[in-house]
Amino acid sequence: MKVKLWGTRGSIPSPGPETIRYGGNTSCVGVTLADGSLLALDAGSGIRSLGLALGDEPARLHILLTHLHLDHILGLAFFAPVFRPQTEIVIWGPASPEASLRDRIARYISAPLSPVEVRELPCDVSFRSCPETEWEIGSARIRAASVAHRGPTLGYRIDEGDSSLAYIPDHEPALGADLDTLEDDWISGFALAQDASLLIHDGQYTDAEYPAHVGWGHSALSHSLAFARRTGAERTALFHHDPMHSDDFLDGFGAEAKERWAGLGGDPAAIELGMERAEYELSAWAPQAAAPA
Amino acid sequence: MSFVTQRPLELILARNLMSALSTPAFLVDEGGVLVFYNEAAGMMLGKRFEELGTVGAAEWGSLFGPFDEGGEPIPYDELPLVSAIRNGRPAHAELVIHSTDGASHEVEVSAFPILTAHGSQGGIAIFWPTETNGNGAHPA
Repeated sequence: MKVKLWGTRGSIPSPGPETIRYGGNTSCVGVTLADGSLLALDAGSGIRSLGLALGDEPARLHILLTHLHLDHILGLAFFAPVFRPQTEIVIWGPASPEASLRDRIARYISAPLSPVEVRELPCDVSFRSCPETEWEIGSARIRAASVAHRGPTLGYRIDEGDSSLAYIPDHEPALGADLDTLEDDWISGFALAQDASLLIHDGQYTDAEYPAHVGWGHSALSHSLAFARRTGAERTALFHHDPMHSDDFLDGFGAEAKERWAGLGGDPAAIELGMERAEYELSAWAPQAAAPA
Repeated sequence: MSFVTQRPLELILARNLMSALSTPAFLVDEGGVLVFYNEAAGMMLGKRFEELGTVGAAEWGSLFGPFDEGGEPIPYDELPLVSAIRNGRPAHAELVIHSTDGASHEVEVSAFPILTAHGSQGGIAIFWPTETNGNGAHPA
Protein backbone atom coordinates (compact mmCIF):
# COMPACT_ATOMS: atom_id res chain seq x y z
CA MET A 1 0.00 0.00 0.00
CA LYS A 2 1.39 3.37 -1.02
CA VAL A 3 0.19 6.50 0.71
CA LYS A 4 0.71 10.10 -0.35
CA LEU A 5 -0.41 13.20 1.48
CA TRP A 6 -1.94 15.72 -0.91
CA GLY A 7 -3.39 18.05 1.69
CA THR A 8 -2.48 18.23 5.38
CA ARG A 9 -4.04 21.51 6.47
CA GLY A 10 -7.17 21.82 8.56
CA SER A 11 -10.13 24.17 8.44
CA ILE A 12 -9.26 26.30 5.40
CA PRO A 13 -6.67 26.31 2.63
CA SER A 14 -3.72 28.33 3.81
CA PRO A 15 -1.38 28.91 0.88
CA GLY A 16 1.54 31.25 1.13
CA PRO A 17 5.26 31.44 1.72
CA GLU A 18 4.82 30.65 5.42
CA THR A 19 3.14 27.27 4.74
CA ILE A 20 5.05 26.09 1.70
CA ARG A 21 6.79 23.12 3.35
CA TYR A 22 4.00 21.51 5.36
CA GLY A 23 1.48 22.65 2.77
CA GLY A 24 -1.60 24.79 2.62
CA ASN A 25 -4.05 22.40 0.99
CA THR A 26 -6.78 20.86 3.10
CA SER A 27 -7.25 17.16 3.81
CA CYS A 28 -6.63 14.64 1.09
CA VAL A 29 -4.61 11.42 1.15
CA GLY A 30 -4.08 9.23 -1.90
CA VAL A 31 -3.80 5.48 -1.36
CA THR A 32 -2.66 3.09 -4.08
CA LEU A 33 -3.30 -0.56 -3.31
CA ALA A 34 -1.22 -3.49 -4.45
CA ASP A 35 -3.72 -4.35 -7.18
CA GLY A 36 -3.62 -0.79 -8.50
CA SER A 37 -6.90 0.33 -6.96
CA LEU A 38 -6.90 4.00 -6.05
CA LEU A 39 -8.53 5.57 -3.02
CA ALA A 40 -8.71 9.21 -2.04
CA LEU A 41 -9.27 9.84 1.64
CA ASP A 42 -11.21 13.08 1.82
CA ALA A 43 -11.61 15.63 -0.92
CA GLY A 44 -10.18 18.81 0.51
CA SER A 45 -8.34 21.20 -1.75
CA GLY A 46 -5.46 18.72 -1.95
CA ILE A 47 -7.52 16.44 -4.19
CA ARG A 48 -7.12 18.92 -7.02
CA SER A 49 -3.40 18.15 -7.18
CA LEU A 50 -4.11 14.43 -6.91
CA GLY A 51 -6.44 14.70 -9.89
CA LEU A 52 -3.83 16.49 -11.97
CA ALA A 53 -1.24 13.86 -11.07
CA LEU A 54 -3.50 11.04 -12.23
CA GLY A 55 -3.59 12.14 -15.84
CA ASP A 56 -6.17 10.07 -17.68
CA GLU A 57 -6.04 7.24 -15.17
CA PRO A 58 -7.59 5.43 -13.48
CA ALA A 59 -10.92 4.39 -14.92
CA ARG A 60 -12.34 3.78 -11.47
CA LEU A 61 -11.58 5.24 -8.07
CA HIS A 62 -13.08 5.55 -4.63
CA ILE A 63 -13.31 8.67 -2.51
CA LEU A 64 -13.77 8.01 1.20
CA LEU A 65 -15.06 11.08 3.01
CA THR A 66 -14.70 11.28 6.77
CA HIS A 67 -17.36 13.98 7.00
CA LEU A 68 -18.80 16.81 5.02
CA HIS A 69 -17.23 19.86 6.58
CA LEU A 70 -16.15 22.13 3.78
CA ASP A 71 -12.41 21.62 4.23
CA HIS A 72 -12.95 17.93 3.46
CA ILE A 73 -15.08 18.27 0.33
CA LEU A 74 -14.21 21.59 -1.26
CA GLY A 75 -11.90 20.01 -3.81
CA LEU A 76 -14.57 17.72 -5.25
CA ALA A 77 -15.74 20.17 -7.88
CA PHE A 78 -12.13 20.77 -8.93
CA PHE A 79 -11.06 17.13 -9.17
CA ALA A 80 -10.28 16.55 -12.84
CA PRO A 81 -11.56 12.94 -13.01
CA VAL A 82 -15.13 14.03 -12.21
CA PHE A 83 -15.17 15.79 -15.58
CA ARG A 84 -14.22 12.68 -17.54
CA PRO A 85 -17.17 10.63 -18.79
CA GLN A 86 -15.13 7.45 -18.85
CA THR A 87 -14.30 7.64 -15.15
CA GLU A 88 -16.32 5.83 -12.51
CA ILE A 89 -16.16 7.38 -9.06
CA VAL A 90 -17.68 5.94 -5.91
CA ILE A 91 -18.01 8.41 -3.06
CA TRP A 92 -18.35 6.92 0.42
CA GLY A 93 -19.28 8.89 3.50
CA PRO A 94 -21.16 8.95 6.79
CA ALA A 95 -24.85 8.16 6.93
CA SER A 96 -27.24 10.73 8.26
CA PRO A 97 -30.93 10.46 9.13
CA GLU A 98 -31.42 13.91 7.67
CA ALA A 99 -30.60 13.39 4.00
CA SER A 100 -28.77 11.09 1.64
CA LEU A 101 -25.04 11.47 1.12
CA ARG A 102 -25.69 12.67 -2.43
CA ASP A 103 -28.16 15.32 -1.31
CA ARG A 104 -25.86 16.58 1.41
CA ILE A 105 -22.91 16.89 -0.97
CA ALA A 106 -25.18 18.53 -3.52
CA ARG A 107 -25.65 21.42 -1.11
CA TYR A 108 -22.08 22.35 -1.93
CA ILE A 109 -21.97 21.29 -5.59
CA SER A 110 -24.95 23.41 -6.59
CA ALA A 111 -25.88 27.03 -7.19
CA PRO A 112 -25.04 29.51 -5.90
CA LEU A 113 -21.93 27.91 -4.37
CA SER A 114 -20.90 26.01 -7.48
CA PRO A 115 -21.19 26.58 -11.23
CA VAL A 116 -22.06 22.92 -11.75
CA GLU A 117 -24.65 20.64 -10.22
CA VAL A 118 -24.03 17.05 -9.12
CA ARG A 119 -26.35 15.79 -11.86
CA GLU A 120 -24.21 17.60 -14.43
CA LEU A 121 -20.93 15.92 -13.50
CA PRO A 122 -19.78 14.03 -16.60
CA CYS A 123 -18.26 11.09 -14.71
CA ASP A 124 -20.21 8.05 -13.58
CA VAL A 125 -20.55 8.98 -9.92
CA SER A 126 -22.35 7.11 -7.19
CA PHE A 127 -22.77 7.82 -3.49
CA ARG A 128 -22.76 5.23 -0.76
CA SER A 129 -23.20 5.53 2.97
CA CYS A 130 -20.51 3.50 4.67
CA PRO A 131 -21.76 0.20 6.06
CA GLU A 132 -21.27 -0.72 9.69
CA THR A 133 -19.39 -3.82 8.65
CA GLU A 134 -16.07 -4.21 6.90
CA TRP A 135 -16.12 -4.22 3.10
CA GLU A 136 -13.62 -4.70 0.31
CA ILE A 137 -12.23 -2.35 -2.26
CA GLY A 138 -9.74 -3.97 -4.60
CA SER A 139 -7.15 -5.79 -2.56
CA ALA A 140 -7.98 -4.03 0.70
CA ARG A 141 -10.47 -4.42 3.48
CA ILE A 142 -12.06 -1.17 4.59
CA ARG A 143 -13.57 -0.38 7.94
CA ALA A 144 -15.31 2.84 8.95
CA ALA A 145 -16.42 3.88 12.39
CA SER A 146 -17.90 6.99 13.92
CA VAL A 147 -15.42 9.09 15.86
CA ALA A 148 -15.67 12.05 18.20
CA HIS A 149 -15.93 15.22 16.14
CA ARG A 150 -18.66 17.71 15.41
CA GLY A 151 -21.43 16.17 13.32
CA PRO A 152 -21.50 12.70 11.77
CA THR A 153 -17.83 11.87 11.24
CA LEU A 154 -15.99 8.69 10.36
CA GLY A 155 -12.50 7.42 10.71
CA TYR A 156 -11.20 4.76 8.35
CA ARG A 157 -8.96 1.74 8.55
CA ILE A 158 -7.54 0.17 5.41
CA ASP A 159 -5.99 -3.26 5.74
CA GLU A 160 -4.09 -4.86 2.93
CA GLY A 161 -2.19 -8.02 3.68
CA ASP A 162 -0.46 -7.40 6.97
CA SER A 163 -0.17 -3.64 6.60
CA SER A 164 -2.75 -1.14 7.71
CA LEU A 165 -3.49 2.55 7.50
CA ALA A 166 -5.69 4.34 10.01
CA TYR A 167 -7.01 7.73 8.96
CA ILE A 168 -8.66 9.88 11.64
CA PRO A 169 -7.95 13.48 10.64
CA ASP A 170 -10.62 15.22 12.72
CA HIS A 171 -10.83 13.75 16.17
CA GLU A 172 -11.29 14.85 19.76
CA PRO A 173 -11.10 11.58 21.68
CA ALA A 174 -10.23 13.32 24.95
CA LEU A 175 -13.41 15.38 25.12
CA GLY A 176 -14.67 14.64 28.60
CA ALA A 177 -12.39 11.62 28.83
CA ASP A 178 -9.02 10.68 30.23
CA LEU A 179 -7.18 8.75 27.54
CA ASP A 180 -4.62 7.47 30.01
CA THR A 181 -7.14 5.61 32.14
CA LEU A 182 -10.09 4.71 29.90
CA GLU A 183 -10.50 1.11 28.84
CA ASP A 184 -9.53 0.50 25.20
CA ASP A 185 -13.05 -0.15 23.96
CA TRP A 186 -14.26 3.16 25.42
CA ILE A 187 -11.76 5.28 23.47
CA SER A 188 -13.18 6.82 20.32
CA GLY A 189 -11.42 5.46 17.24
CA PHE A 190 -9.36 2.90 19.15
CA ALA A 191 -10.28 -0.12 17.05
CA LEU A 192 -9.50 1.75 13.84
CA ALA A 193 -6.01 2.64 14.95
CA GLN A 194 -5.06 -0.41 16.96
CA ASP A 195 -1.58 -1.57 15.90
CA ALA A 196 -1.84 0.24 12.57
CA SER A 197 1.26 0.45 10.39
CA LEU A 198 0.56 4.15 9.92
CA LEU A 199 -1.83 6.32 11.88
CA ILE A 200 -2.74 9.66 10.32
CA HIS A 201 -4.31 11.59 13.17
CA ASP A 202 -5.58 15.00 14.12
CA GLY A 203 -2.80 17.18 15.50
CA GLN A 204 -4.38 20.58 15.23
CA TYR A 205 -3.66 22.24 18.55
CA THR A 206 -0.89 22.75 21.02
CA ASP A 207 -1.74 22.02 24.62
CA ALA A 208 -1.79 25.76 25.26
CA GLU A 209 -4.24 26.39 22.41
CA TYR A 210 -6.64 23.58 23.28
CA PRO A 211 -8.47 25.11 26.26
CA ALA A 212 -9.86 27.83 24.00
CA HIS A 213 -11.08 25.16 21.56
CA VAL A 214 -12.62 22.47 23.75
CA GLY A 215 -15.46 20.81 21.88
CA TRP A 216 -14.36 22.02 18.47
CA GLY A 217 -13.63 18.44 17.48
CA HIS A 218 -9.84 18.44 17.43
CA SER A 219 -6.95 17.22 19.52
CA ALA A 220 -4.25 18.85 21.56
CA LEU A 221 -0.78 17.39 21.18
CA SER A 222 -1.13 15.57 24.50
CA HIS A 223 -4.27 13.85 23.23
CA SER A 224 -2.69 12.87 19.92
CA LEU A 225 0.30 11.38 21.70
CA ALA A 226 -1.84 9.58 24.25
CA PHE A 227 -4.06 8.16 21.51
CA ALA A 228 -1.04 7.00 19.50
CA ARG A 229 0.49 5.40 22.57
CA ARG A 230 -2.67 3.65 23.63
CA THR A 231 -3.43 2.29 20.17
CA GLY A 232 0.10 1.06 19.55
CA ALA A 233 0.42 2.39 16.00
CA GLU A 234 3.83 1.72 14.49
CA ARG A 235 4.14 5.20 13.05
CA THR A 236 2.05 8.33 13.48
CA ALA A 237 1.70 11.36 11.23
CA LEU A 238 0.04 14.34 12.87
CA PHE A 239 -2.32 15.97 10.42
CA HIS A 240 -4.93 18.67 9.94
CA HIS A 241 -2.53 21.45 10.86
CA ASP A 242 -4.11 24.59 12.18
CA PRO A 243 -4.16 27.32 9.50
CA MET A 244 -2.45 29.66 11.96
CA HIS A 245 0.55 27.35 12.26
CA SER A 246 3.37 28.42 9.96
CA ASP A 247 6.17 26.14 8.80
CA ASP A 248 8.50 27.59 11.41
CA PHE A 249 5.91 27.05 14.12
CA LEU A 250 5.30 23.48 12.96
CA ASP A 251 9.02 22.74 13.01
CA GLY A 252 8.98 23.50 16.70
CA PHE A 253 5.71 21.65 17.22
CA GLY A 254 7.13 18.56 15.53
CA ALA A 255 10.28 18.71 17.62
CA GLU A 256 8.17 18.93 20.76
CA ALA A 257 6.10 15.95 19.63
CA LYS A 258 9.22 13.85 19.10
CA GLU A 259 10.70 14.90 22.42
CA ARG A 260 7.53 14.11 24.32
CA TRP A 261 7.10 10.83 22.47
CA ALA A 262 10.62 9.86 23.46
CA GLY A 263 9.74 10.85 27.02
CA LEU A 264 6.92 8.32 26.84
CA GLY A 265 9.41 5.67 25.84
CA GLY A 266 8.69 5.76 22.11
CA ASP A 267 10.99 6.03 19.13
CA PRO A 268 11.16 9.68 18.03
CA ALA A 269 11.36 8.53 14.41
CA ALA A 270 7.91 6.98 14.78
CA ILE A 271 6.11 10.30 15.10
CA GLU A 272 6.16 13.18 12.68
CA LEU A 273 4.08 15.95 11.25
CA GLY A 274 2.31 15.20 8.00
CA MET A 275 3.85 17.14 5.16
CA GLU A 276 2.15 17.80 1.84
CA ARG A 277 3.46 15.41 -0.87
CA ALA A 278 5.04 13.11 1.73
CA GLU A 279 4.92 9.48 0.67
CA TYR A 280 4.81 6.28 2.69
CA GLU A 281 5.06 2.68 1.63
CA LEU A 282 3.46 0.45 4.19
CA SER A 283 4.64 -3.05 4.77
CA ALA A 284 3.93 -5.68 7.33
CA TRP A 285 5.28 -5.17 10.79
CA ALA A 286 5.13 -6.95 14.10
CA PRO A 287 3.53 -4.86 16.85
CA GLN A 288 5.43 -4.57 20.11
CA ALA A 289 4.14 -6.52 23.04
CA ALA A 290 3.60 -3.32 24.97
CA ALA A 291 3.30 0.28 23.89
CA PRO A 292 5.56 2.83 25.55
CA ALA A 293 4.26 3.76 28.96
CA MET B 1 -3.21 -10.33 18.13
CA SER B 2 -6.73 -9.64 19.34
CA PHE B 3 -8.54 -6.56 18.20
CA VAL B 4 -10.79 -4.51 20.40
CA THR B 5 -14.49 -4.44 19.68
CA GLN B 6 -15.24 -0.77 19.76
CA ARG B 7 -18.16 0.62 21.74
CA PRO B 8 -20.52 2.68 19.60
CA LEU B 9 -19.51 6.33 19.60
CA GLU B 10 -22.88 7.34 21.00
CA LEU B 11 -22.23 5.25 24.11
CA ILE B 12 -18.73 6.67 24.44
CA LEU B 13 -20.01 10.23 24.27
CA ALA B 14 -22.87 9.44 26.65
CA ARG B 15 -20.41 8.00 29.16
CA ASN B 16 -18.17 11.05 28.82
CA LEU B 17 -21.12 13.36 29.49
CA MET B 18 -22.44 11.26 32.36
CA SER B 19 -18.99 11.26 33.96
CA ALA B 20 -19.26 15.02 34.30
CA LEU B 21 -22.77 15.04 35.81
CA SER B 22 -23.60 15.30 39.48
CA THR B 23 -26.94 13.63 38.80
CA PRO B 24 -26.97 9.83 39.15
CA ALA B 25 -27.02 8.33 35.67
CA PHE B 26 -26.91 4.80 34.27
CA LEU B 27 -25.93 3.63 30.80
CA VAL B 28 -27.12 0.40 29.22
CA ASP B 29 -26.03 -0.97 25.83
CA GLU B 30 -28.28 -2.27 23.08
CA GLY B 31 -28.20 -5.74 24.59
CA GLY B 32 -29.43 -4.49 27.95
CA VAL B 33 -26.07 -4.81 29.70
CA LEU B 34 -25.32 -2.13 32.28
CA VAL B 35 -22.05 -0.74 30.93
CA PHE B 36 -21.55 2.32 33.10
CA TYR B 37 -22.88 4.46 35.89
CA ASN B 38 -21.36 7.66 37.16
CA GLU B 39 -19.90 8.67 40.50
CA ALA B 40 -23.17 10.19 41.69
CA ALA B 41 -24.94 6.92 41.00
CA GLY B 42 -22.17 5.08 42.80
CA MET B 43 -22.65 7.27 45.86
CA MET B 44 -26.36 6.56 45.81
CA LEU B 45 -25.87 2.80 45.44
CA GLY B 46 -22.95 2.62 47.85
CA LYS B 47 -20.66 1.02 45.28
CA ARG B 48 -18.53 2.60 42.56
CA PHE B 49 -18.86 1.33 39.01
CA GLU B 50 -15.17 0.47 38.98
CA GLU B 51 -15.81 -1.93 41.86
CA LEU B 52 -18.74 -3.59 40.15
CA GLY B 53 -17.97 -3.61 36.44
CA THR B 54 -20.51 -4.38 33.75
CA VAL B 55 -23.64 -6.24 34.79
CA GLY B 56 -25.71 -8.40 32.49
CA ALA B 57 -29.24 -7.69 31.41
CA ALA B 58 -31.86 -8.77 33.94
CA GLU B 59 -29.23 -8.77 36.68
CA TRP B 60 -28.60 -5.10 37.25
CA GLY B 61 -32.17 -4.32 38.23
CA SER B 62 -31.80 -6.40 41.37
CA LEU B 63 -28.74 -4.44 42.45
CA PHE B 64 -30.89 -1.76 44.00
CA GLY B 65 -34.36 -3.25 44.36
CA PRO B 66 -36.20 -1.51 42.98
CA PHE B 67 -39.59 -1.26 44.58
CA ASP B 68 -42.76 0.61 43.84
CA GLU B 69 -44.29 3.08 46.25
CA GLY B 70 -46.18 0.24 47.92
CA GLY B 71 -42.95 -1.64 48.56
CA GLU B 72 -43.55 -4.30 45.92
CA PRO B 73 -40.58 -5.33 43.74
CA ILE B 74 -40.78 -3.94 40.22
CA PRO B 75 -40.23 -6.63 37.59
CA TYR B 76 -37.24 -6.11 35.32
CA ASP B 77 -39.43 -5.82 32.24
CA GLU B 78 -41.27 -2.88 33.80
CA LEU B 79 -38.23 -0.79 34.64
CA PRO B 80 -38.22 2.56 32.82
CA LEU B 81 -34.86 1.92 31.18
CA VAL B 82 -35.90 -1.48 29.88
CA SER B 83 -39.13 -0.02 28.58
CA ALA B 84 -37.31 2.87 26.91
CA ILE B 85 -34.93 0.58 25.04
CA ARG B 86 -37.56 -1.94 24.00
CA ASN B 87 -40.12 0.60 22.88
CA GLY B 88 -37.82 3.28 21.54
CA ARG B 89 -39.68 5.79 23.66
CA PRO B 90 -38.87 7.74 26.81
CA ALA B 91 -40.19 6.35 30.08
CA HIS B 92 -40.62 7.83 33.53
CA ALA B 93 -41.41 6.35 36.92
CA GLU B 94 -41.18 6.97 40.63
CA LEU B 95 -39.61 4.15 42.59
CA VAL B 96 -37.62 3.25 45.66
CA ILE B 97 -34.15 1.77 45.56
CA HIS B 98 -31.93 0.31 48.24
CA SER B 99 -28.26 1.06 48.51
CA THR B 100 -25.69 -1.41 49.81
CA ASP B 101 -25.78 0.13 53.29
CA GLY B 102 -29.47 -0.63 53.54
CA ALA B 103 -30.69 2.91 53.07
CA SER B 104 -33.66 3.40 50.79
CA HIS B 105 -34.02 6.25 48.35
CA GLU B 106 -37.11 7.59 46.67
CA VAL B 107 -36.26 8.62 43.17
CA GLU B 108 -37.86 9.71 39.97
CA VAL B 109 -36.36 7.98 36.98
CA SER B 110 -36.29 9.39 33.47
CA ALA B 111 -35.07 6.97 30.85
CA PHE B 112 -34.64 7.39 27.13
CA PRO B 113 -33.27 5.30 24.29
CA ILE B 114 -30.16 6.22 22.32
CA LEU B 115 -31.35 6.13 18.74
CA THR B 116 -28.85 6.58 15.92
CA ALA B 117 -28.63 6.31 12.15
CA HIS B 118 -27.75 2.66 12.75
CA GLY B 119 -30.65 1.98 15.10
CA SER B 120 -30.83 1.73 18.87
CA GLN B 121 -27.52 1.71 20.73
CA GLY B 122 -28.90 1.40 24.24
CA GLY B 123 -30.34 3.80 26.73
CA ILE B 124 -29.73 6.21 29.57
CA ALA B 125 -31.54 6.50 32.88
CA ILE B 126 -31.19 9.54 35.08
CA PHE B 127 -32.28 9.33 38.70
CA TRP B 128 -33.72 12.36 40.43
CA PRO B 129 -33.82 11.94 44.21
CA THR B 130 -37.13 13.07 45.62
CA GLU B 131 -36.16 13.15 49.30
CA THR B 132 -35.61 16.42 51.09
CA ASN B 133 -33.36 15.34 53.96
CA GLY B 134 -30.22 16.68 52.39
CA ASN B 135 -28.30 13.53 51.58
CA GLY B 136 -31.08 11.80 49.74
CA ALA B 137 -31.19 8.79 52.07
CA HIS B 138 -33.98 7.26 54.11
CA PRO B 139 -33.40 4.85 56.94
CA ALA B 140 -34.07 1.33 55.71
